[in-house]
Amino acid sequence: MLVGVKALKEIPRKVTSANLQSLAIALSAIVLLTIPLGAGPYPITVMVDMGFYTIITMGIILLMGFAGQISLGHAAFFGCGAYASGVLTTQYHLSPWLALFLAAIFTGGIATIIGRFMFRLRGLILAGVTLALNLVFFHLVSSLVGLTGGAMGMMNIPPLSLGGFTSQNLLFNYYLVWIIAILLLVFSLNLANSRAGRALRSMNVHAGGSEDAAQVLGIDIMKYKVWAFVLSAVYASIAGSIYAHYTRIIEPGTFFVPLSALVVIMAILGGMASPWGAFLGAGLIIGLRELLRESMPVLVGGVTGSYELIAYGIILVVALLFLPQGLISIVHKAVPKKRAIVNES
Amino acid sequence: MNFSVALQILISGLNLGCIYAALGLGFFVVYSVTRVFNLAQGEFVMLGGMLTASFYTMGIPLIPSILLAVIITALAGAGLYRFIMYPARKSSGVTKVFLTVGFALAIEGIALRVWGWEFRSLPAFFNSPSIQLWEATIFGQTPWVIGVTLLMVIGLFFFFGRTIQGKALRACADEPLGARMMGISIERMALFSFILAAGLGAVVGALITPLTMTSYSVGWPLTIKGVLAAFVGGITRAEGVILGGLVFGMIEAITAGLIPGGYHNAIAPGILILVLLFRRHGLLVTAGRE
Amino acid sequence: MKVNFVRMKSAVMPKQERERDTLHTPLLKVRNVSMAFGVLAVLKRVSFSVPRGNILVMIGPNGAGKTTLLKLISGLLPLQEGEIWFKQQRLSRIAPHRISSLGITQLFQDIQLFSNMSVIENVMVGCHLRAKTGFMRSGLRLPSARADEQSIFEVAMSKLSLVGLEQKALANPSSLSWGQQKLVGLARALATGAELLLLDEPYSGLLTDEVDKLNKLIFELQRQGITILIVEHLTDILMGIANQVIVLDYGEKIAEGTPAEIQQNKQVIDAYLGGGSLESERG
Repeated sequence: MLVGVKALKEIPRKVTSANLQSLAIALSAIVLLTIPLGAGPYPITVMVDMGFYTIITMGIILLMGFAGQISLGHAAFFGCGAYASGVLTTQYHLSPWLALFLAAIFTGGIATIIGRFMFRLRGLILAGVTLALNLVFFHLVSSLVGLTGGAMGMMNIPPLSLGGFTSQNLLFNYYLVWIIAILLLVFSLNLANSRAGRALRSMNVHAGGSEDAAQVLGIDIMKYKVWAFVLSAVYASIAGSIYAHYTRIIEPGTFFVPLSALVVIMAILGGMASPWGAFLGAGLIIGLRELLRESMPVLVGGVTGSYELIAYGIILVVALLFLPQGLISIVHKAVPKKRAIVNES
Repeated sequence: MNFSVALQILISGLNLGCIYAALGLGFFVVYSVTRVFNLAQGEFVMLGGMLTASFYTMGIPLIPSILLAVIITALAGAGLYRFIMYPARKSSGVTKVFLTVGFALAIEGIALRVWGWEFRSLPAFFNSPSIQLWEATIFGQTPWVIGVTLLMVIGLFFFFGRTIQGKALRACADEPLGARMMGISIERMALFSFILAAGLGAVVGALITPLTMTSYSVGWPLTIKGVLAAFVGGITRAEGVILGGLVFGMIEAITAGLIPGGYHNAIAPGILILVLLFRRHGLLVTAGRE
Repeated sequence: MKVNFVRMKSAVMPKQERERDTLHTPLLKVRNVSMAFGVLAVLKRVSFSVPRGNILVMIGPNGAGKTTLLKLISGLLPLQEGEIWFKQQRLSRIAPHRISSLGITQLFQDIQLFSNMSVIENVMVGCHLRAKTGFMRSGLRLPSARADEQSIFEVAMSKLSLVGLEQKALANPSSLSWGQQKLVGLARALATGAELLLLDEPYSGLLTDEVDKLNKLIFELQRQGITILIVEHLTDILMGIANQVIVLDYGEKIAEGTPAEIQQNKQVIDAYLGGGSLESERG
């Protein structure tokens, strides 16, 4: 034994790996906040996109990676946030910030009701139910023409603004999205190593947890499943609101199954065990998407969107077959384990 | 509500119901033999529709067009099993679901590359004219939809109930270990189930194209509707799946008749989700299974 | 010793009787519990009670319905017929986590440690009911959440040192031996602060010195006032620690009594022991 663990009086850093985490958070924050200084508008636009995906994917990781529950319908919650923000600002003329906040509460409320009933079911059928919910959402916003503009989309959503900057300014969006992404990352990491986070992980049957064991230890698994579902929906809703005020035009087609599948792919590729997986997954996939969008039509012609769809499919299959723990597992393996214990004494 | 409206709704419900039942059956064939939750089923339907429409517009007659489309789609189904599901046969159910999602996205992308964004259509089979029945109009394609679905159902029941191949498939579903001991290759049967499901899907795709048109992106809604139909009726039996499809179609036709605007598209699956939440084993499975 | 099938007439006892009952009431009462999976009857009108502080050992061959009975008590299986009372409360249609919060927990035969967490985190999950910190306070890491976390950690550490595994706090459960995993499972169960501990075959797969260690621990827990219900098919070891023994066979209670009484019971020897291990111990 390297240290006299017997004398442990405090939660060892290894349990939370807090030192390493804080360092990584600080580094990423610095990198993310300085990137725009040397970059043109195109990479920043791409990075803003990446930020939206990162936020939604972090929610997916809470739900799937922590609690072990499948969702293939989170584009609906992204859309729910976007449309709630849009409706509240264009129809009721609320301030965009207030709209963002109310949209998150509204989406959370919807998710609570859905989750409360949905988790009566267990296992793979949840994939089907969440898909169907996504379908219902898509048709609902397409039909509520008076409220949402229907299939034509909703236009003229006012931008967010703060201290003279508005989300018509690209850099404002960049900082807004990434600051929120980092705040939610800290929230997720805190959660992971807390009473609530352990409760979630304990019932994750896909990663070594056990619902029976969790229950006999006093964990209300229904409640925790619903909570994970609600939190992940709120993450998506926040991303959706910012997205709506940023693009200022939203249409139902954006919020359909391919997007739901895409964030799941990001989570699987990045790794489900940690919220960091979202940064890796979203970064790589969006990076690749841009590469394909720029190069493929020039090289081989054809419709821009097609190659990325093919790539998503291939990436998902390859990741599942050859990298079931996600890319984050490679990072975990790279961090030497013994050293972390020595620091404790 | 007068008689002709009711008749119109009934016909439209039957038409939709047959489509959903057929979609559900494709899902059911794979699920019952392999327990794989195949979320690429709708892509087979899309492929069938797009291929048929392409061949048809190239001047190939209808029947050969459909046959070609079925063969190519069945090959895609074989590919899905052989190159994705077979290597992952020991993986968990969740992994397998996501694998089919990956395949579905790739197929969607390939379709977009090949055919672009445009919608494609077909005339009603053999240009069948619309029929006036009292004041209700029956679109020329509707009898084809109902008739061919009926044929497929009869064919499936005959196949599963009477032929050796079909019995072997059922044995794999019910008693995999026993099936293996009887010398049935589960892998072969699984491959066959994917081919069968893809082929069925392609026929459905050709059938619905004259009614709804088709494009690279129609796969997901079709998958979802098939899954809903299959589970609402009760995935354990083919009768349940057919019932689920018909109920789904009827609900959609009735809501469409009562509520104008596109709301029926949201309400019908919404009602089915509710049914599923409160009868988790499906309509056909009665109490005592819990 | 014959089994006495007394049929209780009503689920709700009259108030007077209930008050009188409080004084002498056993911690756990099982009355006429039957259970069937489809047509297969797993338990047939099993009744017994466990006084507070007792160690009850329930033996029976595989398939006798022991595990099913434990799952009925902890609520993981819904009760079909009969009654289970814990303290003054009837356990029917109560979710497993609620039953746990009343003071019952279970150690599974296959332990079911959470392999996605370290040993200490496993035990900390056992402390779930000792704190109230929810999602918001956890995620924001408010001072109250940190204080909770620290106190949970201390309790978990103390339970871990009770079973003598504080050195393994940071290890992954899958790196431990089977016997150590059993002990971690026990520490995790103890962390809940349960008054009644259901142990499903805790001795299976243990080495001789581990058996002794577990015996000592169980006595220690009894001394602390914890009531223990052990289910086993091994018999020799258990006769030393049991206050009370029940024999189940094909879902029926065929005998109940002190270890000495059971060892001499003809029916038990015929039906289950068949002149096996108990004979040798008696001799």
